[in-house]
Amino acid sequence: MSDLSLDATQLDRYSRHIILDDVGPEGQKRLLEGSALVVGAGGLGAPVIQYLAAAGVGRLGIVDDDVVERSNLQRQVIHRDADVGRPKAESAEEFVADLNPDIEVEAMERRIAPEEARNLVADYDVVVDCTDNFPTRYMLNDACQIEGVPLCHGAIYKFEGQITTLSPDGPCYRCLFPEAPEPGTVPDCATTGVLGVLPGTVGCLQATEAVKVLLGLGETLTGRLLFYDARELSFETVPYQRNPDCPVCGDDGIDDLAGVDYDGGCGVASD
Amino acid sequence: MQWKLFADLAEAAGERTVAVDVDDDASVGDALEALLAAKPALRDRALNEDGELRGDVNLLKNGENVDADATVAAGDELALFPPVSGG
Repeated sequence: MSDLSLDATQLDRYSRHIILDDVGPEGQKRLLEGSALVVGAGGLGAPVIQYLAAAGVGRLGIVDDDVVERSNLQRQVIHRDADVGRPKAESAEEFVADLNPDIEVEAMERRIAPEEARNLVADYDVVVDCTDNFPTRYMLNDACQIEGVPLCHGAIYKFEGQITTLSPDGPCYRCLFPEAPEPGTVPDCATTGVLGVLPGTVGCLQATEAVKVLLGLGETLTGRLLFYDARELSFETVPYQRNPDCPVCGDDGIDDLAGVDYDGGCGVASD
Repeated sequence: MQWKLFADLAEAAGERTVAVDVDDDASVGDALEALLAAKPALRDRALNEDGELRGDVNLLKNGENVDADATVAAGDELALFPPVSGG
C-alpha cells in the first residue's frame, strides 16, 4: 500500500485530503512526489505558493526577479512588512519553509531567459503563470507547448481576471491570443491600480487547476477561458479552439524558441 | 443584440455593455460598426490603421469565435476582449 510511505505527521497534516475519496493516500503521495514551477511571486504567485505548499506539492520552483516593495503588501500576502527590500523569491522560500517542512523549494532570483525556458519548464510536472508581463507569458506558453508541460494561466486587470489551462495537446495561449498587445499599450498594476483581493481569487483558481493537473482529477479549463469580474462578482466561461495554423501548437509549429522575438511583440518568425 | 466589453476596451467605451440595433441580414462586422458608431472612443483601441480588428482584440459571438461576415440576430451576445497581463 502506497499510504505506508506517508509518515504519521503527514497522515495528520494531510488527513483532510486523505479522507477524500477522490484524493486519498495515493493522491496525496502523488502531490508529495509532484512538482510545480511558479513563475512570479507577486499577487498571483502568493496564493498559488501558499496553497500548493500547504497541499504538499513536494517540489516548488519559484522564479521572480523583483524585490518586495511596500506597495506590494496590499495584495502579495506571502510577503510581510519586514520583507520590504528582500528578493521576492527569497521571501517566498522562507514563507514555504515556515508553512510546510515537507516542501523542497528551488528559489530562482531572476527573469527566465528564452535560452533556459524549455529546460526549466521540462523539470516540473506543471507550470503556473503568475507573471506580470506578456513576453514571459508567451515564452512560458511556447516552452510548455514544446516540452509538453501543462500551464495554468492567470492574469489580472484592475477588477477583472482571466484564467485558463493550457494543456500539451492544445489549444495554447497563442490560439486564444495570437498577438501580444504592442509593448506599452496595456498598462500594469503599478499604473492602473488593482483591487488587492483580486489576485487572491484568481491565484486560488490557478492553484486549483494545478492541483487537479497533478492529481489527474476533474475537468480543467483546457479550451475554456474563465472571466472573473470582482465588481459584479460574475464568472463567465467561453470556449476556444486549437488553431491549426498556430505558429506554436499548430501542424507546422516551432520546436524551439530561437526565432521568437520576445522583446518586440512576441512574434514567431516564419521560415 | 448586446456587446459585452472587457478590461481596457470597456474603459475606452465608457460602458461594459452596449446594446445595438442592426438590420435583419446584418453581419458581425455591421454590429461592430454600430458599436463603434455608438462608442467612437473605442474605435482607435479596437481597430488598426487599416480599419481591421486589432490582433490583440478578440471577438466572440455567443461564446464562439466568428469572422466579421458571420450573421447576427437579435438576442445574440457579442463580446470584445483583450489579453491582460497583470500578476
